Amino acid sequence: MNGFALVFLIAGLGLIGWLTARARANRFDRGGAKRLHSLPGQHGMYVAMWTVLPALLFVAGWNAISPGLVKEAVLEHPAAAQLPTFAFERNALLAEAKRVAHEEGATAFDPVAEQLVAPTRAAQSRYGWMGAGVAILLAFAGAAFAFTRVRPSFQARTQAERGVMVLLLIASLIAILTTLGIFLSLLWESLRFFQQVPITDFLFGTHWSPQVIDAADPGKSLGAVPLFWGTFFIGAVIAMIVAIPFGLMSAIYLTQYAAPRVRRWMKPTLEMLAGVPTVVYGYFAALTVAPAVRDLAVSFGYTYASSESALAAGLVMGVMIIPFVSSMADDSIAAVPTAMRDGSLAMGATTSETISKVLIPAALPGVVAGVLLAVSRAIGETMIVVMAASGAANITLNPFESATTVTKQIVDLLTGESEFDSPKTLAAFALGLTLFVITLLLNIVALRVVKKYREAYE
Amino acid sequence: MSNERAPTDWNAPAMQKRIRRRYARERRFRFFGLAAVTLSAAFLAFLLVTMVANGWRGFTRTDVALVIDFPATGIEVERAQLKTPAADLALAGAGLENLVKGAAATAFGDESVISDSGWLRVREAIKADPTILDRKLTIDLPASTAIDQAVQGDGNAEAKAAAAKLEQAGVLSRHFNADFLHKSDSTDPVAVGIWGALKGSLLTMAITFLIAFPVGVLSAIYLEEYAPRNRWTDLIEVSINNLAAVPSIIFGLLGLAVFLGSWSLFGYQFGPLLPRSAALVGGLTLALMIMPVIVIASRNAIKAVPPSIRDAALGIGASPIQVVFHHVLPLAMPGILTGTIIGMARALGETAPLLLIGMRAFIVTPPGGFTDPATVLPVQIFLWSDEVSRGFVEKTSAAIIVLLVFLLAMNGLAIYLRNKFETRW
Repeated sequence: MNGFALVFLIAGLGLIGWLTARARANRFDRGGAKRLHSLPGQHGMYVAMWTVLPALLFVAGWNAISPGLVKEAVLEHPAAAQLPTFAFERNALLAEAKRVAHEEGATAFDPVAEQLVAPTRAAQSRYGWMGAGVAILLAFAGAAFAFTRVRPSFQARTQAERGVMVLLLIASLIAILTTLGIFLSLLWESLRFFQQVPITDFLFGTHWSPQVIDAADPGKSLGAVPLFWGTFFIGAVIAMIVAIPFGLMSAIYLTQYAAPRVRRWMKPTLEMLAGVPTVVYGYFAALTVAPAVRDLAVSFGYTYASSESALAAGLVMGVMIIPFVSSMADDSIAAVPTAMRDGSLAMGATTSETISKVLIPAALPGVVAGVLLAVSRAIGETMIVVMAASGAANITLNPFESATTVTKQIVDLLTGESEFDSPKTLAAFALGLTLFVITLLLNIVALRVVKKYREAYE
Repeated sequence: MSNERAPTDWNAPAMQKRIRRRYARERRFRFFGLAAVTLSAAFLAFLLVTMVANGWRGFTRTDVALVIDFPATGIEVERAQLKTPAADLALAGAGLENLVKGAAATAFGDESVISDSGWLRVREAIKADPTILDRKLTIDLPASTAIDQAVQGDGNAEAKAAAAKLEQAGVLSRHFNADFLHKSDSTDPVAVGIWGALKGSLLTMAITFLIAFPVGVLSAIYLEEYAPRNRWTDLIEVSINNLAAVPSIIFGLLGLAVFLGSWSLFGYQFGPLLPRSAALVGGLTLALMIMPVIVIASRNAIKAVPPSIRDAALGIGASPIQVVFHHVLPLAMPGILTGTIIGMARALGETAPLLLIGMRAFIVTPPGGFTDPATVLPVQIFLWSDEVSRGFVEKTSAAIIVLLVFLLAMNGLAIYLRNKFETRW
């Protein structure tokens, strides 16, 4: 049975359970001095919970183990004896049989796989119906158990609310599970990578060319230093040279000089810069900015200018980052007590003197935190560099030359057709882990700075 | 005091000069501020203008009127087959493509004025009305990219000359390209459309919403209303704040490793849990990505509901669960929805994680369900941007316009909700 249909069926049973239990609780004798503990709806909730939860838990578990059971069943079929013993080919043939069994009208290329289609389909339907049967049975059993407890004296509210609390707790645990999942999956694949490539080669090697990996010494061509440099150069240097002055000056102008009307319109306009999808920026960078940058380089007499320069990617990324810097700076300037500003102005300082000598120093921790967050955003940005930066890993200080970044390499490594176990694929996870750790550190430092700063004025 | 300072002589030339210099610096500073704001806005304007200037052409198409005399060509198709699913095959087998090209070659002296996929329109016309096989037909076929651009003033001299000749013959016409809105990807820029990608986006968004919204709101309720202050709660809180700042591509790696990788647990081998390139996987991955955004927005909205409302409800005997679900949550809902829409807009524009989980396939048929291979609008834009064929530039920009219109609509809705339901307690 189809998974979605089963879940709908169980949900439907839950609804029926809820309605019947509520109807039954509605008929309780309310006369006399006896006060009922729970509302009819709470009895309904209790029954619905008992109907739905055990069945759904079973379905989730069954979905995890049934592919294994199907595989066992298929392997017991006489035709499976012809399968090759080598695990990779074996799994490929089984997967092919499974695909054909699923798709209407598809045919298998391999005769062995073709023979296995019928047994796969049979096993799938057998275990599918078995699972559905048990799930529905569980739903009815749960409903029956809960329904017998629906009595005037039963404290359904306590039980139902306990269930809701558990649900809330589970929802909030998903955040931890995601964090843990990210960290563990990155760590797991990275460890497999570091078994093949020494970690020192990866972190300190200066040669990056994943297209040609020497099987004997894969570490020789997987040194990530050029990527780290390129990421830093594009994200933390070029982009910030654009974003910090523009962001900071915009924030200063909008908070200190602009008329309220102008501010009301300009602030959301600037924020739109952050709302434009990065793929659009990437397209813009590749289509418009990169050729212009190359022409500029050529006019400077630099004849070997790349059309995939670090400058083009960095410039556009800087524009994207402007609103992050400006809104952080805006917040921290607004948090400086007005008395300090008024004091400075009363002493006869001009507005610009007040800003540069009083407001900015006082708001500095917030501004620094904003810049750190912006850097973390920039080095994690993917689409702009995928579309506008080059794949060639260089360590260069020349912005007109090509440079590549960690995120671009992750995409390049994972979008080719390659097996899951090669050092090439696993290297992407090692890069991902490095990126995760670095952005996490930047965020923690930024939050620390902000926290410290807030304590100073509130 | 013997060395008492003389009063400042404001009119002394040195002082006047100093004041002038200070005021000049003030004006300069102010000008730099204004320039920063203006230039930032100009960047945005330039970006939008470039996209619109390139993109509006993507919504139009040049057609060439072609006369085909079917009886004269002697095409042999069984009429009975034309109403069956085998019609496509039968017409292709009868050489319809060459027939149309031949007709174009005779009429215009050059078969390449018609786009490569132009004959498909003839096929659809025949399927809709088989009787046209018995007569002479005049049909508008999409012109090739070269002609299309020559008509708009672009392209090389050769194409321009060809276009001018067609113009003189009076067979050219320009139309709104409705196909762009209801066709899917193709290798021919004249025939591409965004419907497949748009449908993929909608399916992906549906999954994202169904998962991220309930989980995000429920965990916000727990953290804000019930969670005891202890190390576990702190851990959850720190996790959520960190997740909000994790680069999106990392979520792609997570999706790849967890949903699509094969992994073993207790010596038991699990296959890929979910199909590759499916809206289901994309939606799950994006849901994990925007969940923290929803949690943070919902917590702020719940925090903004004044305690007196909770106290009043508790005072008349409501249970803590009833307080939240009957009173706090409805009042916080506008804020929660605003945050959710902003998060969904972010998910709609996201590309990088979806590239990693394989949603970059060439998809010709729109996905029929959550587990079918699908692509989404931003990924479609990315794929088209890589195409070398000149005609894809305007199609890419046109798709960007559609994406931006969706995003603007969502952000506009968020702002409207915030303004309409903003409550001052």
